[in-house]
Amino acid sequence: MKGEVVLSAEGLAKRYGDREVVTDATFALQRGEVFGFLGPNGAGKTTTIRMLVGLVKPTRGRVLIDGCDVRHEFEKAMRGVGCIVETPDLYRFLTGRENLEHFARMVGDGARERIPALAGLVKMSGRLDDTVRTYSLGMRQRIGIAQALLGDPSVLILDEPTNGLDPAGIREMRELIRHLADERGLAVFVSSHILSEVEKVADRIAIVHRGRTLASGTLADLMEGGARSLEELFLEKTAGETV
Amino acid sequence: MRLAGLVENETLKILRRRRFRVVLLVLAILLAVVVFAQQRQRARAEKEHPGQNWRSRVEARVAQMERRLAQARQMPDSFARYMKFETGRLKYHLEKDIDPESVTGPLFSRGFAGVGSILLLPLLVAVVGADLVSSEFSEGTVTLLLTRPVARWKVLLSKYVTMFLFTTLTILAAGALSWAISGLAFGWKGWGAPVVTGFRFSAAGFDASAVRVLPLWQDVLVAWGLAWYSALAVGAVTMLLSVVLRSTAAAMGTMMATLIGGTILSRFASDWEGAKWFFVSCLPLPEYYTGVPTPFPGMTLGFCATVLAAWAAAATVLAFVLFSRRDVKS
Repeated sequence: MKGEVVLSAEGLAKRYGDREVVTDATFALQRGEVFGFLGPNGAGKTTTIRMLVGLVKPTRGRVLIDGCDVRHEFEKAMRGVGCIVETPDLYRFLTGRENLEHFARMVGDGARERIPALAGLVKMSGRLDDTVRTYSLGMRQRIGIAQALLGDPSVLILDEPTNGLDPAGIREMRELIRHLADERGLAVFVSSHILSEVEKVADRIAIVHRGRTLASGTLADLMEGGARSLEELFLEKTAGETV
Repeated sequence: MRLAGLVENETLKILRRRRFRVVLLVLAILLAVVVFAQQRQRARAEKEHPGQNWRSRVEARVAQMERRLAQARQMPDSFARYMKFETGRLKYHLEKDIDPESVTGPLFSRGFAGVGSILLLPLLVAVVGADLVSSEFSEGTVTLLLTRPVARWKVLLSKYVTMFLFTTLTILAAGALSWAISGLAFGWKGWGAPVVTGFRFSAAGFDASAVRVLPLWQDVLVAWGLAWYSALAVGAVTMLLSVVLRSTAAAMGTMMATLIGGTILSRFASDWEGAKWFFVSCLPLPEYYTGVPTPFPGMTLGFCATVLAAWAAAATVLAFVLFSRRDVKS
C-alpha cells in the first residue's frame, strides 16, 4: 500500500579511524516513491548505501527493511531489497542469463521463473545469451536492475544509475525508475551528484554533504525557503560547509 | 538452506573461468614430458647393456635366495624377512611376465604421488583455490554476492565445499593421468606386485618393525589418499589468503612463496627443528609414509597429519571470522 514505510535509516553513522564519513543519516522510504539522495562526490553517499545493504557495519544507528534489522536479521531484511552499488559489476565471463540464474539460486522463491519477464521489462530479452563481456555499460546496468528485482523486493537501491549512460539511456533509465515506483509500488532509492537528474525523477530529496544530511523533503518543501531552483538551494546549503 | 544451489554457482564460476582446465592441461603436459624423459633414459641404458634375458636372471636370483633361506639358521630375522619378501616379489613378476626392474604405470603413479605432494600438487591446488574469494573482490561482484538474502558464512561455506570438491578432483586427475600417461610407455598392468613399505630410520638406525608387505594397488591408494589429505590442508590455507588479501595475484604469489620457501626451509635448514611445525614441512605425507627420511626427527605420519589438520582448522576459523565481520568497502 502506498505510504507504508519499507526502509528506514535511523541515526546511521560511520567512522573510519578518527574521520566520520557519515553522521546521523536518518530517513524513511515509502512504498511507491522515488527518494533522491543528492550530494557531491565524496559526500558519504556510497558509504551510506553500503550500510543500508549490510556491506558496511554502522558505527551507530540501524537500518530496518520491511521491519527487519539488517544487522541482526540479515537474510530476512535482504529479501526486501535489491540494489546496485556503484557500478553494475556482473560476472563478465557468464552470459546475462547465467548471471540472473546465479543470483536467482541465491534468492530462491521462484526467482528463476521471473527471469523472462524481468528481461522483457529491462529490454534485454534479445541479448540474454551473450556474455556480459560484450555488453555496453547501459546493458549491464539493465541486467543489474533485472537482477535486483529477482526477489520481488519492496525497495530498490540504485547508486548513480545514470552514470556513464548516453542521453537516450539516461531517459530510459528515468522512465524505468518511475515505472517501478508508480506501477509496481516499489520504493526506489536513487543516489546522484547530478541535480537535474534527481529533480526529474525524485518525489522526495535529501541533500547530503560531508557526511551530513543538510535538508530533506519534497521539492516543494525544500523551495519554501525562497530558493528558485534546486541548484540554488544546493549551493546555498553546501556553501557554509565548503572550506 | 540452499547450499546445493550455492555450490552449483561456485562450480559454474570455476568451470567457466577455465582455470581448472589449465591445471589439468599443465598436469598432462608435465607428465608426458617426465614419462618421455624416463623412456629415453631407459632406452639408452638398454643400448649400453643390451640383450640380457631378464627371466633367466631373475629365476637364478630366486633359486639362490631360496637355497640360502633353506640352509641358514644363523641368519638375522630381519634379513630372513627381507629375503622372503624379495623371493615373493620376484615370483610375482615371473608369473605376470613383468621385468621386476622395470617401471609400470601403477608404480609410476605411486612415485608421482610422493614427488608431486612436495610442491607440484600443492601449487596446482593453490592455483584453483586462490581466486575463489578474491576474484569476487577484484571483479566487484562481491557487492552483489553479499547483498543477497544469504548470510555471509553460508556464502563462504559454499566456497569451501567447492574448494574441497575441486581439490579432490585435482588429486583424482593427477592419480589417473599419471597412471594413464605413463602406461602408454610402461604398460598399465602390475597392480598386484607386492611392495614393501613403512621403513623407518631412527637414531638407532634402520628400523624394520613397521614394515608391511602390500599389493601395489593398496599402496597406490594409500599414497594418493595421503596426497589428497595434504592437498586439502593446502586448500584451506589458500582460502584464508584469498579472504585476507582479496587479490588473486597476491594470494597465489604468497602461497607459492610459502610453499617454495617452506620446501627450502625443510631441506636446507634442517638444524632448526622448529620448522617441523610449519605445515609445508608436513606436506609430503606419501613420501614419509614410504620411508623417505623426514627432514626433522619426530615427524611421524601421525604428527604430520595432526600439524596439517591444526593449520587447516585454524585457517578455516580465521577465514570465516574475517569474511563475516569485515566491511566491504570499494
